[in-house]
Amino acid sequence: MRSASAKRQGLDEERLDEGITSYATSARFSAAEKLALRYCELMATDPDAIDDAFYDALRQHYDEAEIVELGAFIGFNIGYHTFFGTLKFYPMFSPDGRLVSQEESARLYGAAPASLQATESA
Amino acid sequence: MSRIAPLPLAEIDDPELRALIARGEALGVPDGLFGRILARVPGHAKPLLRALIQSHETGNVDHKLKEIIRIQLARFAGDDYFARLRSTRARAAGLTEAEIEAGCGDYEDAGCFTEAEKCALRYADQMYLDPAKVDAAFYDELKRHYSEPQIMELGAFIAFHYGMQMFMRTLAAKPLAQG
Repeated sequence: MRSASAKRQGLDEERLDEGITSYATSARFSAAEKLALRYCELMATDPDAIDDAFYDALRQHYDEAEIVELGAFIGFNIGYHTFFGTLKFYPMFSPDGRLVSQEESARLYGAAPASLQATESA
Repeated sequence: MSRIAPLPLAEIDDPELRALIARGEALGVPDGLFGRILARVPGHAKPLLRALIQSHETGNVDHKLKEIIRIQLARFAGDDYFARLRSTRARAAGLTEAEIEAGCGDYEDAGCFTEAEKCALRYADQMYLDPAKVDAAFYDELKRHYSEPQIMELGAFIAFHYGMQMFMRTLAAKPLAQG
């Protein structure tokens, strides 16, 4: 599933994949964006690494309102995506915009989305 | 002190946001800290506080059971802030610290939980520890004890609270009463 508004703003699959799998070494992300992506990664995988120094680094790029926005957004998504994963449902629409059954969607999108496969192999 | 300082109440002008913060304080979860940190982004603070408060005040799953689940999850998330808060409504309904400890420990053999309660505690326990175990067979087991709306209520409750707890963990926040 993809955000229509992010797509309209120019987010493509290549940038999305790079943001998930290789943002740290990518030239397509600014230092601020890399730090936000690391905030997300660490909250899910190594929250102890998000210490005072990490928040100081965030403050070099974002104000406190932006940090709270990011942190709450990340936490919300960590919580819900695992729950959704246990329900085994798939997007209602095919990549070309057709309304499809859950069976067809499962065939189209596969048992494990590419983004999850990338996370698991990282 | 939290790594992101809460806004002083005097700096929060939005009456709806102030009312939500006050409602959370009356419920005991969250205390004023969570809402005043979120208040830095009012557009996010209001729906998140509304969702959190509704997860306490509404629904058809026993509130005491949800309170035990909430604390079990907070401890698993390593979040001292939400782990130390207590629902005033659950306390008023008779929930004891001994029951909370039993629910956060070896609840399967504690002797004080029904099969339905143990299944709900296992749902929360496994969701982030080993989500692969929350499979079709697990949902079939849940359906023997709970209706589908109750399962959605439990699942959404678990997901929402765990997500907010992970965020608060990174802030190293403590309840206001304990500084």
